[in-house]
Amino acid sequence: MRIIVCLLFLIANISITTAQVKVGDMIPSIPLQSNGNSEVNISSFKGKYILIDFWASWCGPCRLGNKKLVKLHNEVSSSKIEIIGISIDTDANKWLKAIERDKIKFTQLIDPKGFEANAALLFGVDELPAKYLFNPEGILIAKNPTEEEIIKLIKD
Amino acid sequence: MKRINKVYVMLALMILMFTMKSNAQIVKAEIRATGLTCSMCSNAINKQLKALPEVISVETDLNTNTFTVTLKEVNELNPKVFKEKVEKAGFFIGSLVVTAKSETITKSPYILVGKNSGTGSEVQFQVVDKGYVTDKEFKKVSKSYKDIATYLADNEDDFHIKILN
Repeated sequence: MRIIVCLLFLIANISITTAQVKVGDMIPSIPLQSNGNSEVNISSFKGKYILIDFWASWCGPCRLGNKKLVKLHNEVSSSKIEIIGISIDTDANKWLKAIERDKIKFTQLIDPKGFEANAALLFGVDELPAKYLFNPEGILIAKNPTEEEIIKLIKD
Repeated sequence: MKRINKVYVMLALMILMFTMKSNAQIVKAEIRATGLTCSMCSNAINKQLKALPEVISVETDLNTNTFTVTLKEVNELNPKVFKEKVEKAGFFIGSLVVTAKSETITKSPYILVGKNSGTGSEVQFQVVDKGYVTDKEFKKVSKSYKDIATYLADNEDDFHIKILN
């Protein structure tokens, strides 16, 4: 009995720790709906740097962050880095309106289930905004880097 | 036969105990959280509340920044639990509106301020103690309740409540 309890505990622990992308981990394969109404897999951009930004239209700090990301998108070559916004908005219309208002031209995907969204759970997103930078090999190299750090990291 | 009677008496007593309990408890709590950062942008409050075994569901309203917590039929929670959980998540309570069985507020630790309750089976009230309203609101209400000695004493185990229904 004790062994079973210990095993269960171990399994529970493992499933908790694996439900979170850590530095050094490979980018997970998650197909999501884009604002262009097509299915896009975040792992399909391997070969260049990938910046994933979790946000939502109702999240004030994220909307401010969008401005910075738009600027970054204009400054760095898209052959060097792919910026991907993943919204956890439950209302897709609000998401689309926010994209328009914030003048976002980079890839936009949605997982419309709030913090319960599969992508948010897989990445271990507990707070918005949340950024993840992967290198061209698809390995996570930084969590929540600033725009300056991103520019520096992708130059090296 | 005697043994069966005993069992019945025990059962009846247990049912009585549970029904008595269920007349004095919180059914629902609506928590508006505040803080230095966007409270809805964090999943922490949600997680803290959901970790309570008495909690059935936590719903969030993004327009009003409110967490609505629905509780199990039998529970002995009081407002302090919500304050502790919200603060543990790194935020503060901006307002706490509780829906409870009417009987709940006839007992301590609840102290009524303002008008009396309605006659319904459920009562809705706001906790007006320090830490359950914004600092600004607290300054305002503490002036109007300056004659209530227990309010000024700021005992964290009694709750001054304003009936809303």
